[in-house]
Amino acid sequence: MHFRNFFSWISKIFKGRNDFTIGLYGNVNTGKSTLANRISKDWTGEEMTKSSEIPHETRNVIKKEHVELRIDGHKININLLDMPGIATKVDYREFLPFGIKEEEAQQRAKEATKGIIEAIKWLEKVDVALVVMDATQDPYTQVNITLLGNLEARGIPLIIVANKMDLKKANSSKIKQAFPQHKVLEVSALTGQGMQALYKEIVKV
Amino acid sequence: MLKEKEDKLGFLLDNLKKQKILVFEGSLTKTEERDLIQRTMEVIDQQNFTGIEVASFGEESNFIQKLIQMLGGRKSGFTVIGPASIVKEIKRDPSKLNVLAGE
Repeated sequence: MHFRNFFSWISKIFKGRNDFTIGLYGNVNTGKSTLANRISKDWTGEEMTKSSEIPHETRNVIKKEHVELRIDGHKININLLDMPGIATKVDYREFLPFGIKEEEAQQRAKEATKGIIEAIKWLEKVDVALVVMDATQDPYTQVNITLLGNLEARGIPLIIVANKMDLKKANSSKIKQAFPQHKVLEVSALTGQGMQALYKEIVKV
Repeated sequence: MLKEKEDKLGFLLDNLKKQKILVFEGSLTKTEERDLIQRTMEVIDQQNFTGIEVASFGEESNFIQKLIQMLGGRKSGFTVIGPASIVKEIKRDPSKLNVLAGE
């Protein structure tokens, strides 16, 4: 893994590369689209996708290209990918309480399963991953463990984003305890809290 | 090797679709975990099978552990997988496991 990182670093120097593909990964409803919108709005002035409290709102990989970040004298171009939330189950009945009709809910569920497959396939193609976790929830889920394990195995740099820190129930220490080997940044994509620290970390990676 | 992995995941999914809860010695590799999620998504039908709950414990084997296993030694870790229609939630804790099941 260290060799791979080293060669990747050398290769970037020789290619003069300063553009990266960053994927936003995580469980369903952790605030990935809200974070993608926050990053996009901060650097391009416009949002890139729709966010919602209904699970599986993002069912395709949403791409925003050529987002230029300028931090502390550094400039990088990123292609931002908002991934569908990863889950081990998709049941159309979970959409019904949100007022979605049965037929539409079944279609939504079908699209959600395809979106998860698409997101998993992209795991091998991103340069950097932001693994977004809901700081009000238990972070020790199989999805988080599988995501981190696969990113680590491929030597893909990652940052864990403890999102929803504006909520009273938020507790990032659980995330830090669960995954002590990784950098955890506390953020509220909704209010913008912690975003500057996240940008600085992205530039470092 | 690939065929062996596909057979293993195929075997797991066949039994999960038959509404069986599976507990076995040994953990899934990270690649197997990822592929299991992907293949589960491919076979969800929204009527009888809506997915799985899974928890795989124990580190992926290193070379020495693999060698010990090849020589007939014990596998490390264990795995619990159930269909989502029966297993509602598996909560993990470093020292214990809570499985919430029910129709």
